[in-house]
Amino acid sequence: MLRRHKGRESASSSDSTFYQLRPDCAHNVPDTKFKIKIGKTLSVRKWHAAFTHHGSLHIASVLNRIQSGGVHPAIRGEVWEFLLGCFDPDSTFDDRDHIRQARRIQYARWKEQCKHMDPHVGSGKIITAPIITEDGVPIKDPLVLLEAATPDQQASLISTKNGDEADHRLTDKQTIEWKLTLHQIGLDVLRTDRSMVFYEKKENLSKLWDILAVYAWIDKEVGYCQGMSDLCSPMIVLLNDEADAFWCFERLMRRLAREFQMHTAIRWG
Amino acid sequence: MAHRVDNEYDYLFKIVLIGDSGVGKSNILSRFTRNEFCLESKSTIGVEFATRTLQVEGKTIKAQIWDTAGQERYRAITSAYYRGAVGALLVYDITKKLSFENINRWLSELRNHADSNIVIMMVGNKSDLNHLRSVQEEEGQALAEKEGLSFLETSALEALNVEKAFQTILSDIHQIISKKALAAQEAAGSGPPTQGTTINVADSSGNMKKGCCST
Repeated sequence: MLRRHKGRESASSSDSTFYQLRPDCAHNVPDTKFKIKIGKTLSVRKWHAAFTHHGSLHIASVLNRIQSGGVHPAIRGEVWEFLLGCFDPDSTFDDRDHIRQARRIQYARWKEQCKHMDPHVGSGKIITAPIITEDGVPIKDPLVLLEAATPDQQASLISTKNGDEADHRLTDKQTIEWKLTLHQIGLDVLRTDRSMVFYEKKENLSKLWDILAVYAWIDKEVGYCQGMSDLCSPMIVLLNDEADAFWCFERLMRRLAREFQMHTAIRWG
Repeated sequence: MAHRVDNEYDYLFKIVLIGDSGVGKSNILSRFTRNEFCLESKSTIGVEFATRTLQVEGKTIKAQIWDTAGQERYRAITSAYYRGAVGALLVYDITKKLSFENINRWLSELRNHADSNIVIMMVGNKSDLNHLRSVQEEEGQALAEKEGLSFLETSALEALNVEKAFQTILSDIHQIISKKALAAQEAAGSGPPTQGTTINVADSSGNMKKGCCST
């Protein structure tokens, strides 16, 4: 979606041009205050000019602009990767390529692990009802509301299901914990930024579900907590690649994890 | 005519909304307090509340409705959530059997954390989705009777019975309080409570949990 608008950089365009709202929801969403201001907003040209030949970023030169005029929507994804600390500004283009590749592989590995535990991960489906009891007994036919899978994926889902004797009770506490969060993620994914045209595409919904499911597995202390879907959503909107979006979210959570850990919530009471 | 300021009321009643995630608690709240319904509403984070002042049995009652995230892990904040609540709307989704089966868990949650005199009303929401119904109205009615709760099916979307549900629970609470006030008055021989005072349904010797998190 961002790509389509790349290059369009007029003084009057606002966020709503980039992040289209469903017409039936537009009245429920407050108008954005963001406007691209020439000379203030970090433009595509200014952003690219802030890199050296080898790719290190002179971040100080862009931070002022970002603070005073925001970031042009066409480059928000790449800018946020630096702002969230995914990459060291002193790294080169090559360094970052390597890191990115390694991270994509790592994400794919984790996703594969999750898929092995629950074949809905990566299938394009979203679970909205529990698939397991608290004692680890699988629940047959959980309500799977969303089917965004291609026929190929559907076939692989069925074959995995048949190959997996899901009848026996799980005993691994961590796996049970993780499985118990999956439907909650689904319930929230279906309620996240639904006024955006972006989420009319079912692939984007399942991307959000997959990323949150994988995150819940790798950060067992936080797992999934209501509110995280709202934080993850902008990453998916801004970054095309699912793994890249995951790593941005992971970086964001590093900063915020304290707020999501159980002891923090308990302190409240 | 005198200008009626917001804090002019006879009673302030705190009512909590509870039930599984996604049953429509927040939309029940917005329907009742702002007459709004949003299909695109987000999941609730932590606790929110809204108020509405209305007439119940000739009294001006300010209803303060608390809404919370349904996710299990938010149960950690429940002792604060239930503190001072005189009513609870226990919501399930008529299209989600599990949310109805979990009513018992929510009831024991109330018994453990809320005041023992709390007035509970069971609400089967989303009655507009009759074609997807998986809990019959009679089942809801039967459970409510067994547990001694009042019961209604509502549709926050169609604004059906939401008003009635709150009116019912508020007048139930009001009746209890009137009786208590009367009893107290007879006992102490003093006048009725002054206007605008918050009265807790709880006995002063009530079994409300004390301290943090009651672990």
